[in-house]
Amino acid sequence: MTDFLWLIIALPLAGAVLLHFLGRFVGEPLSGWLASLASTSAFVFALVAAWPFIQGGEHSTTVLLWEWMPAIGANLELLWDPLAALMVLVVTGVGSLIHFFAIGYMHGDDRFDRFFTSLNLFMASMLTLVLAGNYAMLFLGWELVGLSSYLLIGFWFTRPSAAAAAKKAFVVNRIGDFGFMIALMLVFASFGTLSYAGIFERADEVLGVGMATAIGLLMLVGAAGKSAQVPLYVWLPDAMEGPTPVSALIHAATMVTAGVYLIARSSAIFEIAPIASTTVATVGAITALWAATIALAQRDIKKVLAYSTISQLGYMFLAVGAGAYVAGVFHLMTHAFFKALLFLGAGSVIHAMSDEQDMHKMGGLLKKMPTTAITMGVGTLAIAGIPPLAGFWSKDEILGSVFARGGWFSALWIVGLVTALITAFYMARQWVLVFLGEPRWSQDTSPHEAPRVMTIPLIILAGLSVVGGLLNTPFALRLERFLEPSFEYVTLQNPPEGLAMFAVLAGLSVMASLVGGGFGYVSYNRPKQRWLDFEDGFEPLWGTWEQAYRVDDLYGAAIVAPGKKAAEVAAFGVDLAIIDGAVNGVGSAVRRLGELARSLQTGYVRNYGVLFLGGALVIVIWLVVGR
Amino acid sequence: MITPPEVSWIAIAPDLILALGAAVVLLVEVQWKPAARVLGLVTAFSLVLAVGATLLQKLAVEDAMLAADPERLVAFSGMILMDGFAVFSRFALLGATVLGVLTGWRYIEGLGRRGAEALALIMLATVGFSIMVASNNLVMMFLGLEVGSIALYVLAGMSRERPESDEAAIKYFLLGSFASAFFVYGVALIYAGTGKLAILDIRAFFDQFIVTSPTVIYIGIGLVIAGLGFKVSAAPFHSWAPDVYQGAPAGVVGYMAAVAKIAGFAAMARILLTALGDLDSIWLPIVAALAALSMFVGSTLALVQGDVRRMLAYSGVAHAGFIMTGVVGGETQGILFYLAVYAVQLLGAFAVVVAVSGASGARSSIDDYRGLARRSPGLAGSFTVLLLGMAGLPLTSGFIAKFGVFTDAWNSGYEWLVVVAVLASVIAFAFYLRIIVAMYMDEAEEEAPALVPTVRWVVGLAVVATIAWGIFPGSLLDLAANALAL
Repeated sequence: MTDFLWLIIALPLAGAVLLHFLGRFVGEPLSGWLASLASTSAFVFALVAAWPFIQGGEHSTTVLLWEWMPAIGANLELLWDPLAALMVLVVTGVGSLIHFFAIGYMHGDDRFDRFFTSLNLFMASMLTLVLAGNYAMLFLGWELVGLSSYLLIGFWFTRPSAAAAAKKAFVVNRIGDFGFMIALMLVFASFGTLSYAGIFERADEVLGVGMATAIGLLMLVGAAGKSAQVPLYVWLPDAMEGPTPVSALIHAATMVTAGVYLIARSSAIFEIAPIASTTVATVGAITALWAATIALAQRDIKKVLAYSTISQLGYMFLAVGAGAYVAGVFHLMTHAFFKALLFLGAGSVIHAMSDEQDMHKMGGLLKKMPTTAITMGVGTLAIAGIPPLAGFWSKDEILGSVFARGGWFSALWIVGLVTALITAFYMARQWVLVFLGEPRWSQDTSPHEAPRVMTIPLIILAGLSVVGGLLNTPFALRLERFLEPSFEYVTLQNPPEGLAMFAVLAGLSVMASLVGGGFGYVSYNRPKQRWLDFEDGFEPLWGTWEQAYRVDDLYGAAIVAPGKKAAEVAAFGVDLAIIDGAVNGVGSAVRRLGELARSLQTGYVRNYGVLFLGGALVIVIWLVVGR
Repeated sequence: MITPPEVSWIAIAPDLILALGAAVVLLVEVQWKPAARVLGLVTAFSLVLAVGATLLQKLAVEDAMLAADPERLVAFSGMILMDGFAVFSRFALLGATVLGVLTGWRYIEGLGRRGAEALALIMLATVGFSIMVASNNLVMMFLGLEVGSIALYVLAGMSRERPESDEAAIKYFLLGSFASAFFVYGVALIYAGTGKLAILDIRAFFDQFIVTSPTVIYIGIGLVIAGLGFKVSAAPFHSWAPDVYQGAPAGVVGYMAAVAKIAGFAAMARILLTALGDLDSIWLPIVAALAALSMFVGSTLALVQGDVRRMLAYSGVAHAGFIMTGVVGGETQGILFYLAVYAVQLLGAFAVVVAVSGASGARSSIDDYRGLARRSPGLAGSFTVLLLGMAGLPLTSGFIAKFGVFTDAWNSGYEWLVVVAVLASVIAFAFYLRIIVAMYMDEAEEEAPALVPTVRWVVGLAVVATIAWGIFPGSLLDLAANALAL
C-alpha cells in the first residue's frame, strides 16, 4: 500500500496543474468540484494507507521514491509513521471539507478556478511538508507552503489591505525561515546528513548540549514564524484578509501547525536540549495568554478567531515544550476540527451578512441561520473546554502534563489555566454577540442560511468536535498508543497518574471554563448599551486589548521604518539605482528617458568609475596594510 | 636558438572553428547577401563542429588522465591548457552560445544586413572567452578577455536606433576598459613579484619559495580580483550591470551575461585556486568579503526594482556572491556546477523576457508580467520554475548548486559567510516571488504574447534542465567533479 504513498501528494498537485492550465475552460463550479475530488481522494487514500497503524502493530516505513542526493541524506523519500499519518489525515480530511465549503463560499468570484488552483497547490505543499522523510524535503514543503499561502492570503489582491497582509505574512515568515535554514545548516554540519533516520538515532551521541540547544532555539524561531508565536505572530491577524476558507484551512487547521509539527518531528533533538524545550514551552504559554487577552476585545468576528488561533497554538507549543508531544499533537488535531468549524461558521455568517465582519452589527442570527448557529455553538463549547467535547480532553491533557512537570512549569500551568478562563469568556462573548440579542444589522441586509454545500461541512466538523476528544481520554489512551512509535527517542510527559488527580485537575479547568463562559454569557446577553458600558468599565485595559497592545505600531516604529529608511539610502544614495526612476514608477521613467539618457553619459559613468576605484583601493589597502 | 612553438591543433580546435565560422559568415554576407536563415545555418554548423571538437578534447583529456600523463594537456609551450576544467567551461560557453543565438534569433533576423555582424560577434566573443578559460598564461588570459569583452561591447550597442542601447554599450565599454586596465596591471605586478606569467609556474614558484617582501604581489592580487570582479558583476564592481542588462538588446543580454560570468569565474578559479592556492590566507578574506557584499547588495537592491531586467541584473550580482562563496569553498566542482546551472536559468529567464517584452525594447516593467498566467499559462509556469530555480528551491538545480557552495564554504571554515548567504537567499526569495505573484495574481486584458519557436525551445530547454538537474543532479555533478584543473 505504501508503494503508492506518493499519490497523496500527487493527487492535489495534479489538481493544481490541471486547473492551472485548464481552469479557465472548466469554469465554475466544476473546477471547485475537481479540486475537492483531488483532495478527497487523497484523504481516502491516506485513510487506507493508515489503516495498519490504526489497527496497531504496524511499523513505520520510509518509502524511497528517488535517490536524489543520497550522500547527504536528501532523497525523495516519504516517512510513513503514525505522526505523519495523523497529520495527513487532518490536512486532507479537514482540507477536503473546506474545499467543499469553498465551492459555495467562492460562488460568483471572477477567479473561482484560480482560487481552487492555489488551494490544491497549498494542499500538495503541506502534504510534502508532513510526509517528508528528511529535512531537505521538509524544507521544500516549508518553502512551498509559504509561497502558496502568499497567493491565498493575497487572493483579493485588488484590496490594498489584502496585498499588504500577504506581504506582511511573507516577510515575517521569512524571518522565521532564516532561523530554520540556519538550524538545518547546523544539523547538516553536525551530522553530515539530512535524513531523519540518520539524525535522530545518533542525536544523543553526536550533539553536545550546546549545539542541540542552538539547533533547538533556531528551529523555534522558524516554528514561531510559521505558527505565529510571540513575537512573530503579527502576520496572522492580518492574514484574515484572505477569503474565509483560506483562514480555516491555512490559519487554523494546517499551515500554522507546521511549527508544532517541526518540533514534534525533531523531538529527539529537543530531548537533549532542555533549555530549548523550556523556551518553547515558555514562548507557548506567553503567546497563549497574550493572544487570548487581545481576542477578548476584538470586534471583527474573524479577528477574534485569529487571536484565538494564536492562543491555541501557544497551548500546543506549551505541550511540546513540556515534552507532552502526544498531548500537543492531540490538541493540534482537535483544534483543527473546532477551529476550522468556527472559521467556516464565521464565513457562513459573513456570507449571510453581505461581507459584514463587525460583531457590533450582528446579533439575533440564531433564528435566521440555525444550522450555523448550532454548529458554531458546538465549536464554542469545544474550544472553551466543556466536557465531553474535543477541546476538553486535549486541553486537559496539556494542562495535566505541564502540571506534572512541576518547577517552572507550575507557573506555566497557571498561565494555561487563566488562558482557559479567558478563552471561554471571549468565545461566549462572540457567540452571544453574533447569534443572540437584538438584530443590530441594517434593514437592507437579509441574512439567510448558507446552501447545503456549506452547511454539511459544518455539521461534519461539529460532529468531529464532539467526538474527536474521545480518541485520547485518560480512560483509553488510544492516540497515545497510536503515536508512541513516532516518539521513540523521547520520554513522553504524561498527566499525573490516578483518577483522583485527574478529577482535581479536570475539575479546576472545567471550573475555569464554566466561570469564564458563564461570565461571558451573562455579560453580553443583555442590551447593547449595557455591555458597551461593561467594556468601558475595563478602560484603559480594554482599549489596549482592542488595539492588540499596539504591537504593530511598535514594530512599525522600531523595525519597519528604519528598514525602509535603510533601503532608501541603499537604493537612492549608495547604489544610484534610481537613476532611471525605476523605483519611483516606471511610467514616468519612460517619459523622461530621452532627457535621462543624456545625463547618464555625462555624469553617471564617472560615478560608477569612482565606485569601482574605491572598491579596488579598499581591497589593495586591506591587502597591503592588513598584513 | 629559437625553438618553434609546438602546435597542438586539438587544444584550440573549438576556437579555430568558431573564428573561421565568424569569418565565413561575414564573407558570405558581403559576397552573396543571402537570407538570414543561411547565415544562421552557417553559425549553427560552426557551433555543432565546435561542440564536436570539444567532445574530442574531452576524450583526449580522459586518455591523458588514464595514461597518467597530464603533460600532454599543456599545449603551445605552456600557453594553453586542455584540462578537464577548460573542457567543462567550454561546454558551458558553447551551450550558452547556442541558447543565446536561439533566444536572439528573431532579433538578429530583424537587424537585416547587420545580422551577420551580430552572429559573427557572438561567435568571436565565445572564442575569446573560450581562450580565456583555457589559458595557462596570464597574458593569454588577458588576450582572451579582451577579444571576448570587445565583442560584447559592440553587441550591447547593436540596436543603434535606440539611445539606451548606445548608452549601454558606451558605459559597458568605458567601465570595461577601466576594469581591464586593473586586471592587466595586476598581472604585471604579479609578474614583477614572481617573474612568472604561466599559472602552473606561479603555483610552482609559491610551492618552492617563500616571498619575503610580497607587497607587490599582494597589490597585484587585489587588482586582478577587482578586474575579474567587474566581469562577473560582483559588488562593488557591479554598477554597470543593471544599466547594461536593461539597455542592451534583450535578445543578446542573456548570452552576454552568461558567458561573461562563466569566463570570469573560470579565470578567477584558475588564478586564485590554482596559481595562488598557497596564498589563500591572503585572498580568502577579500573574496569572502566581496561575496558577502555582493549577496547583500544584490538581493536587497533587487527587491526595489520595478523592471525585470534590472531585477535580473541585481539578482546576477547576488549570484556572483554565491559563486564567490564557492570560490571561498575552494572546490571547482561547486563553482562549475553553479555556473552551468545559473547560466541556463539566466538564459531561460531572458528568453521569457524576450517573449514578453520583445527582443529589442529597453523596458520590461513588471507590469508587463501582470496576469501572464491567464494569458499564457505555459510561459508563466516556465518562468515560475526558472525563478524558483534561481531562488534555490529544493528539487530545482539551483538548490543543489547553492547547497554545494554553502557546504564547501562551511567546510573551509567560513561559517559566517554561509550565514550571510542563507540570509541573502531568504531575502532573494522575496523578489523572485514578486514576479511570480504579478504573473498569477493580477489580471490583464492584453493578448497573449506570440512565441517565436526558437525562444520557446530555449525556455523549454531551460525549464527541463532546471528540473532535471534538480532531481537527477548526479551526471552533471560527476562531470563537474571530474573537470579538474591541472
